[in-house]
Amino acid sequence: MMLFYKAWLESRTRFLLGLLALTGLSAVFVFFNNDVRTIVTEHEVGYVEYIWKGIFKGHLRDVYVVVTLLMGLGGLDRERSYGTAACTLALPVSRWRLIAARGITGMIETAVLAFLPASMVPALSPFIGESYPWSLALQFGTLWTIGGILIFTIGFLASVIFVGEYSAAIAALVILFGYTMTTDLPGMEHHIIDVHDVMNGSGPHDATTLAAILLTAAVTIWSAGYITSRKDY
Amino acid sequence: MWFKAWRESRGRFFAIALTLSALCASAVLLESYIRQDQMLISLRTREGSFTEYIYNLIYAGSAKGVYALLVMFLGLGGLQRERAQHTAGFTLALPVSRLRVIGTQIVVGTIQLAVLALIPAILIPSLSVLTHHSYPLPVALHFSALWFFGGLIIFAASFLLSVLTPGEYTAPVICYLALVLDTFVGAWHPLAVYRLNLMWIMGEFKTMRWNAEHSLLQPPPLSWPRISVMVFLAALLLSAAIRVTDEQDF
Repeated sequence: MMLFYKAWLESRTRFLLGLLALTGLSAVFVFFNNDVRTIVTEHEVGYVEYIWKGIFKGHLRDVYVVVTLLMGLGGLDRERSYGTAACTLALPVSRWRLIAARGITGMIETAVLAFLPASMVPALSPFIGESYPWSLALQFGTLWTIGGILIFTIGFLASVIFVGEYSAAIAALVILFGYTMTTDLPGMEHHIIDVHDVMNGSGPHDATTLAAILLTAAVTIWSAGYITSRKDY
Repeated sequence: MWFKAWRESRGRFFAIALTLSALCASAVLLESYIRQDQMLISLRTREGSFTEYIYNLIYAGSAKGVYALLVMFLGLGGLQRERAQHTAGFTLALPVSRLRVIGTQIVVGTIQLAVLALIPAILIPSLSVLTHHSYPLPVALHFSALWFFGGLIIFAASFLLSVLTPGEYTAPVICYLALVLDTFVGAWHPLAVYRLNLMWIMGEFKTMRWNAEHSLLQPPPLSWPRISVMVFLAALLLSAAIRVTDEQDF
């Protein structure tokens, strides 16, 4: 349990900043919808479509993706440069357990952030005389969680591979950008799942696709654990 | 001091330079592939002229976003980071003032920023010749200037945040959120006329015009009053970072 507490202490600032930003922006999208609507789209759209374009597909999803990616960073390599890796490694637990605790904590935080706009939008909409279906919002919450977990694992793996200060963060962003560009290439939809399309609901999001994303995330975390267990600190 | 500042930031600088170079080179060299029907790009990018395509993909598109996002990491550093790594004591023991330590980092970062902003201006016009197209150098340099001054504000903000916040990744997260906030506030209808949105300024959003022959999409002349304000703002943020560092207890 203390390992989870340690992982929480290390990531809580990033998580709370993400929480604050997503909460604030979700409220702005709902309460100031008349003003924000002109920023989100140039065409006249209904409330449900506006929420999709602004939150579940557009600007807010971009914020969620970047925050989630940065939440994956940290770990023993960072601790090494701070001189605390030896203390952590001296704990009577395996490196696999350290990785698992950090991974599970990050995934829970990712899920909480994903369900934040999904619960705020239907809850706040009646205050401005609009309505947004709970079932639809929770569906996006689930899709964001699954996609967010995969993006989190990109940052997670980068933090294990790239040692230099901020190198992991830059590498994670470049990898994510490269992946995004690759998935947009013609014919790639047959070979690679576009997690962005899955998250915004425009791509395939059947059980098989979601299971494949979760499996990829699990393999990525396992790879990070394997690399960590072999490293010499 | 110069070598120290360069050594600390060169990894980030090369990573950003490599990414930007790859983006610009692939945009020009793979133009016919990118503009084919199956690609998920806007109709204007696909069917417009070469200058319109470059503008939509590089100067107003993905490359600008990547540049803004990665430049944040160039600004991170300072003595606060060294404290976390237990090397601040060594740096402070050097027979130079804190102002020189920080000042050197700022100057090196600014030079790196200028080089990064010039990458598209060097690559796009020169590589365009290989694909039997042309992209005017003055237009490319115009955007380099905008990217440099826009990037300077992002660099200064992340530098100040890295001095103020102790956590390693707290500064980039706050800086990114501030950039998002600026996008929203700047695009808000009552404030839109003042063009406070940094990304709009860097991409000449809605100010590009066609020439008389409708063959070249060109920007308006550089707005020097606006650039002066941007430089002043960046200087203000960097001065605050210097002042805070001077008063910090390591």
